[in-house]
Formats: sequence, C-alpha cells, structure tokens
Amino acid sequence: MNATRAFQSIETTKDDLSEQQYIAGDEISTTVYLAQQLGKPLLTEGPAGVGKTELAKAIAGSLDRPLIRLQCYEGLDETKALYEWEYAKQLLYTQLLRDQLQETLAGTKSLAEAADRLTDEEDVFFSMRFLLQRPLLRAILSDGPVVLLIDEIDRADAEFEAFLLEVLSDFQVSVPELGTLAAKHVPIVVLTSNNTRELSEALKRRCLYLFIGYPSLEQELNVVRLKVPDLAPQLARQAVELVQSLRQMDLRKLPSISETLDWAQALVTLNIDNLDQKTLETTLSVLLKHETDLRKVQRQLSRMGRDDEDETDWDDELRPPRRAQ
Amino acid sequence: MEERIVKFISALRSGGVRVSLAESADAFVAVENLGVRDRDTFRLSLRATLVKDVESLPTFEELFPLFFGSGEPPPLMNMMEDLTEEEANMLAEALRQFGQQLRDMLERLLRGEELSPEELETLGQMVGLNHADDLRYREWMARRMQRALQFDQVRKAMQEIMELMAQMGMNKQRLEQMRQLVAQNMDALREQMRQFAGQRIAENMAEQRPEDHLDGLMDRPFQALSDGDMQKLRQEVRRLAALLRSRIALRQKRAKSGQLDAKATIRANLKHGGVPFQIKHRDRTVKPKLVVICDISTSMRHCTELMLSLLYELQDQVSKTHAFAFIDHLEYITPDFQGNRANEAIQQVLIRMPPGYYSTDLGHSLQNFADDYLDTIDHRTTLIVVGDGRNNYNDPRLDIFKKMARRSRRTLWLNPEMPMLWGSGDSDMLEYVPLCDRILQVSTLSELTAAVDQLLVEK
Repeated sequence: MNATRAFQSIETTKDDLSEQQYIAGDEISTTVYLAQQLGKPLLTEGPAGVGKTELAKAIAGSLDRPLIRLQCYEGLDETKALYEWEYAKQLLYTQLLRDQLQETLAGTKSLAEAADRLTDEEDVFFSMRFLLQRPLLRAILSDGPVVLLIDEIDRADAEFEAFLLEVLSDFQVSVPELGTLAAKHVPIVVLTSNNTRELSEALKRRCLYLFIGYPSLEQELNVVRLKVPDLAPQLARQAVELVQSLRQMDLRKLPSISETLDWAQALVTLNIDNLDQKTLETTLSVLLKHETDLRKVQRQLSRMGRDDEDETDWDDELRPPRRAQ
Repeated sequence: MEERIVKFISALRSGGVRVSLAESADAFVAVENLGVRDRDTFRLSLRATLVKDVESLPTFEELFPLFFGSGEPPPLMNMMEDLTEEEANMLAEALRQFGQQLRDMLERLLRGEELSPEELETLGQMVGLNHADDLRYREWMARRMQRALQFDQVRKAMQEIMELMAQMGMNKQRLEQMRQLVAQNMDALREQMRQFAGQRIAENMAEQRPEDHLDGLMDRPFQALSDGDMQKLRQEVRRLAALLRSRIALRQKRAKSGQLDAKATIRANLKHGGVPFQIKHRDRTVKPKLVVICDISTSMRHCTELMLSLLYELQDQVSKTHAFAFIDHLEYITPDFQGNRANEAIQQVLIRMPPGYYSTDLGHSLQNFADDYLDTIDHRTTLIVVGDGRNNYNDPRLDIFKKMARRSRRTLWLNPEMPMLWGSGDSDMLEYVPLCDRILQVSTLSELTAAVDQLLVEK
C-alpha cells in the first residue's frame, strides 16, 4: 500500500469498503468514488445511527489514511477547529530564555534599538513551534493524505459554517503571523449532518450530497451477519424483521442500524436462541430509547401475543417475530 | 446528451429544486468522469451533484426517467394473427354494429397497434398538453387523452363484443384469453400516453424561464398571492430565515450590557499571566420569549403562515414560542409545529378548525386564552397578535387584552391592513391600538421580515 492509494472504480470502491466491514450499496459507493474523483467534500445526511460516521472511518481504513475528526457542537469556533497560539508555552519560553534575551539586548543604547532587535527575534515566538494545531489545520498540514471527518455539522453555528467554506473550497488557511498555509495533499472530506437544521446553500453547493436512509431488510441482515457473526442466522433474520417492522410504527425515535447491532450483540451475550415474549420484553430497551416508545411497542406485542393464541391475523403494523421451531 | 442534461437541469429548477451554476458544472464533470453507459451510475452521479436536499429527491426521481428514458412502454400484442378463420368471421360480425370511429379504435386494440408520435402529438394538442408545466397535471392529462380516445366507450364496446361472440358460440377459454390481451393492450396504450404526457410536461418545464420575479413577490400584498406564489415565498422564507438567524445571533452575541465580569476576565487572562488583556463583559440574555396569537381566518392565512414559518425557522434564537391560532375559538398549535413544516402544520390546524363565514371572534378567543393559557405570559414575554382586528361586531374584550398587555414585557400587533382602514366596518383595531406598545403594518413579505427582525432583537 502506498501513500497515494485511491479508489480505482465504483466496483473496487464497494469491495474496498466491504473489506473494512462496511456494506455499501451502489448509491454510497458511486457517490464516494465521485467525491474522490472530483475532489469535492461529501455531505452525508440521514437519521442518527445509519452509519454516516462509520462511512468516513471505512474510507480512511480502505485508503489506509489517517482519519482526522472534528466533532461539531454549538459554540465551536476557529480556535477549537483551526489553530490557537500556545500562550502558556510562549510565556514559559520567554521566562526560561530570559538570559539569552538579555544577551541579545545587551549593548543597545536606546529603547528603540532594543525594540528593533527584539522584533528581529519575534519570529521565534510566532512559529509553528508555538502553534497548537486543531483538526482542520492538522488535516491541511499533514504530510500524507488524510480523511477529514467533520461530524454533525448541523450542530455548529451558522457562522462556523461560513468559516468552513473558505477551508473547504481552497484547502488553505491564513494565519496572520505566518502567512497562508496551503494543503500539501487535498484531503478527502466527509461531512455528516443529522438534519436538525437546514444547512446553508453555499455549503451544500460545494459538496456532493449523499442521503443515507434506513437499509432494506437484506442489507441490514448482511450488516448484522458481518458485525455479529455469532448470532444464529435464523435468529438474526427474526431480529432484523422485527426491527424493520418497528420502523413502520409511529415512534419518537426509530431504531437504526447501530441499535440493531447493539441488540444483536445483546442477544448473543445473553445466549438467547429464541425470540419469545419474555426475551423481547427484557431486551427491547436496547432498541427503543424512549419510555413512551417502549410502552407502545410492548402493548402492541402483547396484543399480538394474545392474537397468536386465537390464531387470528396479524396486525399489519407490526409483524410478529416468527417463533423458532 | 449535454443538451439533454441542460434541459433536465432547467426542468429541475422549475420543479422547485435549487440548482446553481456551479452545481450544474459539477454534474458535467461527474458525468465525464463516470460516463453515461451505466444508467444507474449516470443517475447517481447527477443526483449527488445536483440535489442537496432530501425533500428534492422525489422531484429528481420523478423527472429523471422522463428525460433519460425509462424503457419503452410495454409492447402491444397482436391477436388477430392467431385467430382461426371462423373466429375472425365472428369478430368481424360482432364489430359491424359499432360506428366507424369506435370500430377503428377497437380494431387497433385487437391488432395491437401503438400510437404513432404524430397521433400522440395531435392528442396532446387536443387536451392542451402544451400549456401544462407542472408534473402534478400528468395523470390528469393522461386521463384526458384517454377520454379523447374514447377509452370508456371502447371498454364497454369490448364487453359487448365478448358477450356477442360468446352467444355466437366462441370457445370460453379463447374468449377469456382474448379479453386479457385486450386489457393488456389498453394498459400498454395508457402507459404510452402517460409517458408521453410526462415527457411533454417535463420539456415544457425545461423551457420555462426560471422565474426571477421574487423581488416583486416580496412586495406583493398577501391578498394578491396565488398558490404558486406562496410556494415560492415559502422557499424564500427559509432563505430569509437563515439570513436573519446569523444577523440576530451576531447581534445577540454582541449585545453586552457593559458590566465587567470579573470572574470571566480573570479566567480569560490567566494565559497572559494575569495581565488583563481581554476584558470580559457580562452578557445579557436577550433571547425573547414569544406568545403569538394568530388569526387564521381566510383573509389572514397567508400572512399568518409566513409569519409562523419565519418564527419556527428561527426557533434557536428564541427561548420559547407559544403559538395560538383562532378563528372563532382559540387553539394551542405549538405541538403541530414539532416536526412539521409551517404550511403542513397550518394545514393540520385548518382541518381541525375549518374557517366559516364571518365567524372570526377575537373576543371569545381572548377569553379562551385568559381561561387556559394566561400563565404563558410573564414579564419576559413578548406578546404578538397577528390579525386584522376585524371582530364581526363581537365584543372585543378589551379588558382581557389590557390584562394580557400588562403582564407581558411588550405587546406587538401585526396588521396587514392599511391604517386608513382601521376602525372601518367591523374593525375594532382603533380600540386595541392604545393597548399595544407597537403596531406594525405588514402586508408583504419584506415588511414581515423587517418586523420579525426587529421583534427578535429589540429589548
């Protein structure tokens, strides 16, 4: 593997990603490949827990590049995202280097002369040595190509978004004391958004757009098989079918893939070989994160449990888990 | 091909998808990179570059097959060929009773002939397809084309023929086979017309100049807005909201009261060895609390909807909004806005409280408010009333309004009517005026935006 590894085609993109245990459909692999070819940032949107962040990790993994992650939050600003001068270190150095400074300044006749000499030495204190690199600057200055993940951009303020525009379009930043720093290698940039607020048109315009929704039954089953291989195939199918049917219900927070995986893992850990009423009741809390959702589903399930004994037809809203023979 | 893509993009634009020049350039680069041979890859490369919005995805998926072929319509079967002579005679006999036009059509169906492009063209002209530029008209246009082809009569006639031939002693199984074939052929023709209608509409959409008279719309009075205008304004509201948001956020951030915050200053200057380089001032939270009471009767709907859209887009700049709507009584509508767009939410509310004629009753609604929700107003709340103050000669309940105004930090009234008209007819506006801190006339979107801008920042 060399430093400039890249995806060769859409097909190999898919394969490379699946080597990283990430199952990508045509949509995802095409868009990822295109993002690389066009050198554009990739904006992924979708509900929480469908694998947007995982995608960035998988890209980094399959291209053998380091992943630099910038987690966004309200109030994030340049000093946290880009760079900051290390004041404490600068102070410490001036204290320790006092003797040298005095030597340098020795023999000056006037204050102006001393200031001039000091100015000549100024560069020492405003050099890369004292620059605290934050994720964005790290991605730009990195010696090898990297993958830059800007996670949950919708949580950052609109001002920060505007600031990002400059970085994302030119991949360069200007530090007043040092001049303009340009990227040695253009990083692959992945932005994720949970769509909690509308992103600005300008940002969207610069990105390729990928919407990742909930997966189909087969896709999800593949993911479960891959990530939780210990789960019996029969049980895995039942579990995924149940999750898929839960997504048809009107819940406050629908379970996504990450929850399915947690649940599958829980089933394995608890050594469960049969999805019966009792198991469901005790483990559902892994899938559903709201009390009201939990109650709603339990009610539905118990109703179906009763129906089961009466041999009546299932409610369409929620197919029952098939009992293992 | 390039021309086709350009057309496709302008159809997307007129379908309400925002596509910038830079994005269409990206689309071309993407297509160059991945080629057009694989249809799915082609679709995905256009989609990733052109559509940046979940809501726009359906429009894209609907338009794409219309421009880049969704495969041919299902083929038609010819059944005349495998009829025996006897059967053919029976058929000719049965056909004889119909008029020329109908007979032609029936024979066509039996022979499985497609409509030629010229025929489709004529049909399209007959039903006015050339003026349709909205995909919502697609099914309707297709149905009109079917009607022009007398599909209903054909279906009936076909049934008669079948009965006739059964009487003449045709084999039941053969007859059933024939019936199915004709039904299939009819479906195929229908599909052909549907595709044609879709394609034609899409092309009309592409030719339409992207409308840029938004500026005019911003200043058009609410009463004079059509549904199409509203659609455009709704998009515009979202853009405006983004603009307002950053402006308001900045202003709120910089609104310092001037008082020195000693603790924050010491903390901030630790890195300078305690020398106070950066002075920190105490912030004052200026995020307002809002109680909005909106008239959603027919005359006020547009104004209210845009107003609420703006407010709900700006939720993060407001500490809390309680929205109420009234026509003849008051309803708490904040829950409707959770997870809904403003127009959907208002639609929902309107289904719950259908507007009647001359049923607006602000006085009664104020009474409702005082009974159930008076505690939503406190000394930090800005009370906003959106309405024209026309009360159908009901009691204006000034006493309650006075009480509400006194409880709140300030009271604003947004009225779309000209001051000249206040007090005329059933308007009680002049009586409410002295009780409000401020009255703004908002009859256009630009005035509304200015009003919202003010009310979110003013103390």
